[in-house]
Amino acid sequence: MSANLSNRIFRPYTGEKARIARAYDYLVLVLALFLFIGSFHLHFALTVGDWDFWVDWKDRQWWPAVTPLMGITFPAAVQAVLWTNFRLPLGATLCVACLSIGTWIARIFAYHMWNYFPINMVLPSTLLPSALVLDAVLMMSNSLTVTAIFGGSAFALLFYPSNWPIFGMFHVPVEAGNSQMTVADMFGFQYIRTGMPEYLRIIERGTLRTYGQVAAPLSAFFSALLSTLMYALWWFIGKWFATTRYLKRI
Amino acid sequence: MKSTTQNQTYTRSMAFHVPVNSQPQSVSKWLLLIGLILSVYMLTLQPVMAHGEKNLEPYVRMRTIQWYDVQWSKQKFNVNEEVTVTGKFHVAEDWPISVPKPDAAFLNISTPGPVLIRTERYLNGKPFMNSVALLPGGDYDFKVVLKGRLPGHYHIHPFFNLRDAGQVMGPGAWLDITGNEADFSNNVQTINGEMIDMETYGLSNGIFWHSFWALLGTAWLLWWVRRPLFIARYRMLQAGLENELITPLDRNIGKAILIGVPVLVLVFYTITVNKYPKAIPLQTSLDQILPLPAKVNAGVVEVETLRAEYRIPERSMKLSLKIKNGSDKPIQIGEFATGSVRFLNKVVPEPDQSNTESVVAAEGLSLDNLTPIQPGEQRTVLLTAGDALWESERLDGLINDADSRIGGLLFFFDPDGERYISSITSAVIPKFN
Repeated sequence: MSANLSNRIFRPYTGEKARIARAYDYLVLVLALFLFIGSFHLHFALTVGDWDFWVDWKDRQWWPAVTPLMGITFPAAVQAVLWTNFRLPLGATLCVACLSIGTWIARIFAYHMWNYFPINMVLPSTLLPSALVLDAVLMMSNSLTVTAIFGGSAFALLFYPSNWPIFGMFHVPVEAGNSQMTVADMFGFQYIRTGMPEYLRIIERGTLRTYGQVAAPLSAFFSALLSTLMYALWWFIGKWFATTRYLKRI
Repeated sequence: MKSTTQNQTYTRSMAFHVPVNSQPQSVSKWLLLIGLILSVYMLTLQPVMAHGEKNLEPYVRMRTIQWYDVQWSKQKFNVNEEVTVTGKFHVAEDWPISVPKPDAAFLNISTPGPVLIRTERYLNGKPFMNSVALLPGGDYDFKVVLKGRLPGHYHIHPFFNLRDAGQVMGPGAWLDITGNEADFSNNVQTINGEMIDMETYGLSNGIFWHSFWALLGTAWLLWWVRRPLFIARYRMLQAGLENELITPLDRNIGKAILIGVPVLVLVFYTITVNKYPKAIPLQTSLDQILPLPAKVNAGVVEVETLRAEYRIPERSMKLSLKIKNGSDKPIQIGEFATGSVRFLNKVVPEPDQSNTESVVAAEGLSLDNLTPIQPGEQRTVLLTAGDALWESERLDGLINDADSRIGGLLFFFDPDGERYISSITSAVIPKFN
């Protein structure tokens, strides 16, 4: 009923107004692109850090736990803004796409060209499949609760299997120095990192290994549980920071 | 017209006569001057070639890893050519209380990035790939095989990363890598016998999968970005037209994503698992390598440090040592080494077993009694290690340390050139006058 009433009084912008509104869209998009490339990439580098930097840090336990947990933060906050005010279900994909751009720039220019590491040693992981599903869950459910529980869980659970096609081949065994290593471990041994001794790597440390050889799925479900909470927390952070008071004056 | 003239007059006076406007000019002059000074300064800058070896507190450098006999097989070589660094070290018994015990240590090479790659590494003749636990009081020898990767002139040290303690640098050397960067190759054989090129392995595959998902992500973004976005959608939402913002087609695409993406992920995952059925988890372990039979304090020459004084004006350390010669030949002190600084006794010829750039005080060691210590004799000796190196190597900082104790190695030689090594340790008493 109210929608019908609104329909009658709503006048879409046309002509110059529509052109200015569209220009405003592009202005915001370009600014958002640079903002998220910088800020999300920085956030990711400071929180996920070495687990995402190095191929020999991507273990079965901590990598699939930490990465989605820290990776769902900005998507949740941006979804809160874009969905609540504009019904745009692209917050997660936008953030993760920006993260990918920032990460690839850093890996090529900082790690490879400046510090001489081969790019395959510093290949970033991808969160794009997780982000697509998170956006779709929000659009279909129009619910914070459902998105937090099912979208947040899917975001974490999809991470490890969606990255295995990239990193599985780095887990092929190699015999070196009378011991068994993976190709990824060989990168760590051969390509000298002055500030990164082997013992700093946090590889399957903790009691999760009690469950033997299923560390990755357990870790993924643990991350899924935490991601539901993290999603809700960052949704409210996004809402708290965002404002549409300037739009209201238009 | 009148107003234009007035404006012109006003502008001129603002530019040339009004004091308020002269301020920006003087600011510009100052900025120009500062810019000039900075430009000249920038022209004089040199690349930093040090690795912070003087920065670590002296008591850590003197009383943790005590390096000696460090040798490089060559110092000029081509890309792809191998070079070996060998040497020995003693792990000090008098380990500082504020430094965690070396339960996890990593023998590393200080390089400006991987300009060399490490192909092999040995401790006491045993290969080791991970970190290692060291025993205080233990003696070790090491060998690291490196391969030239990027041409250039580099200052390289072997060093130990000590967990929770930092880096203890060994003696450094300048290495020249010549040749062409493009010639570098690094092939590794997997356990299945496949040869892989480490420089490119998995790169195109990684780029493919990132591109694949980026394509889907971009399509999803463009699907929304092609329509009017913020202002238009905000107004429609406020007008209660929410249903028009998400169309049935959008919903169908959403359903396709919800089903399609997880299915694709699982299919690709399964394909990869089947393609690499022998994939193993990342390997990490702490290697256990026992020390060698004692090389330092081997029981032939016994040394007890009675007192150590550091005389600040003279930049000299005076050590009072009780020495007992248990060998069957007379011995003389030829060298005192601490914190990678070597003080040599010029009257005792010593075969140089190191070709690194050891920091050497060639005449820095003197004794109150030069007569060799006879077999079975016990003598108290006053040894003076004096040189400005105490200051330039920032070892004199130990008088400001919370743990102002010294540690080091004494090298004795008999007439046949046989060498005996003893470690010394003592609290240091500063003498200010």
